[in-house]
Amino acid sequence: MNMQTSVKTRGIVRGGETLKEHRDRLMEATKRTKHYAGLSKMALRDAEPIKYNKLFSRLRAGVVDARETAKKIAASPIVEQEGELCFTLYNAAGDSILTSTGIIIHVGTMGAAIKYMIENGWEENPGIRDGDIFCNNDSLIGNVHPCDIHTIVPIFHEGELIGWVGGVTHVIDTGSVGPGSMSTGQVQRFGDGYSITCRKIGENDTLFRDWLHESQRMVRTTRYWMLDERTRVAGCHMIRDLVKEVIADEGIESYWKFAYESVEHGRVGLQARIKAMTIPGKYRQVGFVDVPYAHEDVRVPSDFAKVDTIMHTPSEITIRGDGTWRLDFEGSSRWGWHTYNAHQVSFTSGIWVMMTQSLIPTEMINDGAAYGTEFRLPKGTWMNPDDRRVAFSYSWHFLVSSWTALWRGLSRAYFGRGYLEEVNAGNANTSNWLQGGGFNQYDEIHAVNSFECAANGVGASAHMDGISHAAAVWNPEGDMGDMEIWELAEPLVYLGRQIKASSGGAGKYRGGCGFESLRMVWNAKDWTMFFMGNGHISSDWGLMGGYPAASGYRFEAHDTRLKEIIAEGGTIPCGGDTDPENPTWEAMLPDARIKRDKQAITTEAMFKDYDLYLNYMRGGPGFGDPLDREPQKVADDVNGGYLLPRFADSVYGVVLADAGDGMKGVDVAATEARRRAIRKARIEESVPVSDWMAGEREKILNKEAGVHVQQMFAASFKLGPRFEQDFRAFWNLPAEWKLMEADLPIPSYGREYSMDISELPDVKTVQFVEE
Amino acid sequence: MPLDKQTKRSVQVLGIDAGGTMTDTFFVDSDGDFVVGKSQSTPQNEALGLIASSKEGLEHWGLTLEEALSGIQTGVYSGTAMLNRVVQRKGLRTGLIVNAGMEDFHRMGRAAQAYLGFAYEDRIHLNTHYYDEPLVPRHLTRGVMERIDMSGNVVIPLREDSARTAARELIAQEVEGIVISLLHSYRNPAHERRVRDLVEEEVAAAGKTIPVFASTDYYPVRKETHRTNTTILEAFAAEPSRQTLKKITTAFKENGSKFDFRVMATHGGTISWKAKELARTIVSGPIGGVIGAKYLGEVLGYSNIACSDIGGTSFDVALITQNELTIKNDPDMARLLLSLPLVAMDSVGAGAGSFIRLDPYTKAIKLGPDSAGYRVGVCWEASGIETVTVSDCHVILGYLNPDNFLGGQVKLSRERAWNAMKEQVADPLGLSVEDAAAGVIELLDSDLRDYLRSMISGKGYSPSSFVCFSYGGAGPVHTYGYTEGLGFEDVIVPAWAAGFSAFGCAAADFEYRYDKSLDINIATDASEDLKTAQAQTLQAAWQELKERVLEEFEINGYSPDKVQLQPGFRMQYRGQLNDLEIESPIIEAQGAEDWDKLVEAFNDTYGRVYAASARSPELGYSVTGAIMRGTVPIPKPKIPKEELRGATPPEEAKLGSRKFYRHKQWVDAQLYQMEKLQPGNRITGPAVIESDATTFVVPGGFETWLDGHRLFHLKEV
Repeated sequence: MNMQTSVKTRGIVRGGETLKEHRDRLMEATKRTKHYAGLSKMALRDAEPIKYNKLFSRLRAGVVDARETAKKIAASPIVEQEGELCFTLYNAAGDSILTSTGIIIHVGTMGAAIKYMIENGWEENPGIRDGDIFCNNDSLIGNVHPCDIHTIVPIFHEGELIGWVGGVTHVIDTGSVGPGSMSTGQVQRFGDGYSITCRKIGENDTLFRDWLHESQRMVRTTRYWMLDERTRVAGCHMIRDLVKEVIADEGIESYWKFAYESVEHGRVGLQARIKAMTIPGKYRQVGFVDVPYAHEDVRVPSDFAKVDTIMHTPSEITIRGDGTWRLDFEGSSRWGWHTYNAHQVSFTSGIWVMMTQSLIPTEMINDGAAYGTEFRLPKGTWMNPDDRRVAFSYSWHFLVSSWTALWRGLSRAYFGRGYLEEVNAGNANTSNWLQGGGFNQYDEIHAVNSFECAANGVGASAHMDGISHAAAVWNPEGDMGDMEIWELAEPLVYLGRQIKASSGGAGKYRGGCGFESLRMVWNAKDWTMFFMGNGHISSDWGLMGGYPAASGYRFEAHDTRLKEIIAEGGTIPCGGDTDPENPTWEAMLPDARIKRDKQAITTEAMFKDYDLYLNYMRGGPGFGDPLDREPQKVADDVNGGYLLPRFADSVYGVVLADAGDGMKGVDVAATEARRRAIRKARIEESVPVSDWMAGEREKILNKEAGVHVQQMFAASFKLGPRFEQDFRAFWNLPAEWKLMEADLPIPSYGREYSMDISELPDVKTVQFVEE
Repeated sequence: MPLDKQTKRSVQVLGIDAGGTMTDTFFVDSDGDFVVGKSQSTPQNEALGLIASSKEGLEHWGLTLEEALSGIQTGVYSGTAMLNRVVQRKGLRTGLIVNAGMEDFHRMGRAAQAYLGFAYEDRIHLNTHYYDEPLVPRHLTRGVMERIDMSGNVVIPLREDSARTAARELIAQEVEGIVISLLHSYRNPAHERRVRDLVEEEVAAAGKTIPVFASTDYYPVRKETHRTNTTILEAFAAEPSRQTLKKITTAFKENGSKFDFRVMATHGGTISWKAKELARTIVSGPIGGVIGAKYLGEVLGYSNIACSDIGGTSFDVALITQNELTIKNDPDMARLLLSLPLVAMDSVGAGAGSFIRLDPYTKAIKLGPDSAGYRVGVCWEASGIETVTVSDCHVILGYLNPDNFLGGQVKLSRERAWNAMKEQVADPLGLSVEDAAAGVIELLDSDLRDYLRSMISGKGYSPSSFVCFSYGGAGPVHTYGYTEGLGFEDVIVPAWAAGFSAFGCAAADFEYRYDKSLDINIATDASEDLKTAQAQTLQAAWQELKERVLEEFEINGYSPDKVQLQPGFRMQYRGQLNDLEIESPIIEAQGAEDWDKLVEAFNDTYGRVYAASARSPELGYSVTGAIMRGTVPIPKPKIPKEELRGATPPEEAKLGSRKFYRHKQWVDAQLYQMEKLQPGNRITGPAVIESDATTFVVPGGFETWLDGHRLFHLKEV
């Protein structure tokens, strides 16, 4: 019998294409025409604008509603109070059509997971059918960090795939080396916690039993895990039902067109906004953050990771006259032996999240913005690693500090166009993360991960102060949560919750202040905690003369004798650590073992009842010269606890006077004199730029810099030849001057040898950026 | 509602809806006839507007105020005065005592208060976020040293000297009220009550009279931001409102009334103006309509009702299921997180006055969220409005009569609306003006329809088991649009749609409701003994709340035997953070079998509200709150009952015809005078039924008939 050897099987996508054929066709057309899916005309939107708007508003309302309803199923305060979840609707190719509010960075990361399934033949094996449920949290294919768990459900219509819906929650623990979702002890992926690669975990809307058994024992906080999963599945199913209803009412043809036109619409919308709000040109800026791993309180398994380093991200935004733009991160640091690496998708999606907060705050936000943005992330950098061993659990450490630079770049453009209200001097470093675990007040295995730092100070704009204790760059809807709820979730009682004075950067308009919580361990057993945040480096700058926000530090107290002090009626530390340079708590705890230093990253330390932990949430940077600040506002800041009194004089040049009732007012004449004196002193201290540069150049030639600084530049030079050329030209360095990591007295494993995930057999990674 | 009866009436019930711009009064006589009075509101002295509105209404019956008031047994007030006082921060100088070290938490607003009440775009647009002034400024806040943990155990004993110092300092600052809110006081109130007593001692020692409010005496529920805000409202805003209500009562007494006013409260019942917890009257007007629908449903036999109310600025939806209101326990109002039981009512910021704009970058059509309010739209030249509104679309399409808006008080120009629509919306979209206007209406109706649908499905039901009530001044214009295709069992427009909220107030029960947080945790397979013990814990809470409910009724002269009590509880799967409110299937909880009944009621509801797959009984159960409601019967308006006449409307009801645009064509719509239509009349669209205060649109493909209760039923044909 003569059998045909290659039978073309019908694909599952509506119309008969396979997923791969479908996406290939779309991408080819996008590339060829510069319009998403080749849609140079939006037929549905142009012919039936009302129907198009109806589809949009109905689907968007439904997606938002699903998030609001589903989050009530969760037990984790991160999800329920902080809203750390998000649902997104995708077309068949995995491009997002629209999204709910929440952690919308995952619009991109879940899309990347869908595209990974498409490119790696999931259609044939394990197969994609109506009623399937997939789970993913793999940071090597685009996730931000392993604690963001994706549930992905395909949507079928009359037996053909027409799209996907994804739901994500940030879980409290993923079973990594240390408890908490963003632990610090591991330096490789293998300690980063449970990792799931687009795994089919259910069929016919039912989760597999082997999945339920395995996944529950892979994490510390099983109840949170289970209910988070039910939250995601219920939300996805609500949205799938919604899509089916919409199709029943409006017809599949309209829905199908909408699913692609809306992406092109989003792209055009971004371009229009860029044109309207910015000025063409190049904008350069830079971000840094500290990785202080040489310290004894950072206990990692590998000697080669025990080094102090600085992460570095120079960036260049190019805006063209037609509203297209390109973001280039040449010169960024190499990935490292820590948990602060990021995938290209999380890096770019997060930038998109920032843009929705100022450039495109519209309901019509979707992957169109991603297609409207060109990115270049050199391969091997921390945001596009070329090694499959890298860990990601707290990629945010440097994401937030790199992006704050972009706010400043864009803000210069807004300022130039007169959009003073849109200016943002930068975002706070969203920390500290209070994490830890052991046995809790219910005598169960537990992990804690406070999300109070969803409420940091916001950078100032060019016409008003940034708001205080309010938001995070990853979620503008900040919420610090009720203390009574955190005390249910954590065996730690509050002894204070106070606005952190002087944490916001000074300026004509000051940055919003953060806040701080003082926690006392209570009813915990075999307990540990650690710190995670910036300490030595303030990651946000301030803009046009504004000051950076204060950087972080840690305060922990052990063996406090507080039990006795309470019983004896002695003074108990409470409220905030108002002026860390003139601390008051130490005197109240004379016998305690106290750690107060700039070591704001630590690994699990042992804590017991009556020990103290200070959770300090950072402020945002300021805008403009502090000497231009209205003096009364400075007095108001002192009265309101936003500014330590001594900085009124030294930073703002404001001389305070008593205004009765314990309040401060302004001595106007003395203030004018003081400000004149400061301005005069500034001029006296100044030197011509050329003199200053000559001095600095000498230092560079003599390599008068810390080893961590030298390592940072050496690594950037290696991965960014153009960055090195620019550096050499700027400082006029001779050819024989060379800065090599190999010459430095610290290990640099990973410098020469690396192996990418794409080198594994049968793995096709999806490329989203230029490298 | 025959307005021409001239016989001597006995007026029995007065309902009041004092809104920001208009004050409506609603009088009911012993035959169940009613009349609506309208007048401009008078915020400086509300009594003036109320008297004027009453006179205006009673004039229709040929009665003087004195004649009418002498017979009235029941007067119910609802209004926005307290809300406005809060929004404008015009309350009393209030002092706050919290835990030492946490003096900042109130003003920090939990961060969430920076964007509460915002639309989607502004929620993600960070630079639009801001905090309102805190109700209590930081310099009037003091801390006392103590700590109690989540289980009610003492961590740090109360240091009484810190409480006395706090009290003295606040008294010295001449505060007019002192609020005390300590962490976990809902669980163990001992410290908070002791602080309260100490503060009262200090107030007395200073020779002053300053009211003291301990959160545990008012709102003993978890979440300190909510509990503290709500208790502050008692001191800050409720006391002044009490004085306002007293003034109104006095003004009416001077005109011959013999009744004490009651006030519509957030939980859906009315309470005395003398009630201890008056903060819960902060929002009352919109609730009136829901109560009216519930009452109509009870009398006429509808148990599941979707209440929809469109005014100038918003579309409010509430659901009544099995004759029960849905209650939200930690709602937000006036950008404050609160812990009041509130009739769950969702609002879309889209109403008849909503502005229509095209996004300059994406050309997306945007409705609202801001609105022209009482200024209608571009069609009213004197309004000064330049951006087109939904009402402009109605005028363009022939839905509204430009010469009879508010009974002809405001003359509208179709031409102005048409020109503005062309320039702002139609031309940029490449549509004709009519199609653009019809498209906007279609879009709005579709939004509202989805909203209704999602609310009903969110409760686990389908529209086919619901009757939809449509009211509010602009409701009946949109009724057909937002109900079309949803498959409601029936769609009802009361002939008195515009005064429906005031009617509802008059129909509300005299009801107190108290809540208390509990922490009962129990495994699914717990022993009988444990279940019994937990049932008794719940019972003890019910008993405590029952005493408080009865105490409130005592103040108003009702003995306990007159009060009907209904217990409820809030339950969740152990470890969850959101609970569901369940009306208790049992009156007392004593044994293990009682416990099982509570669990069964919870599991049923959970599966309906979320998804069956979201049920998690393996986690065990937590009861997080006890609820007790008590009611006493009061006289209510009778629903009119008239004899049915023929299907054909009388000739005198006809007002001619008007061009009417829908589905891409102009047709002639027959116009009717609403008041002249008779029970039994049947009208097939296209038709427009007009009255002074509302317009009821019946487009082609729809039919309506008026029943004997003066309710219009709208059907798709």
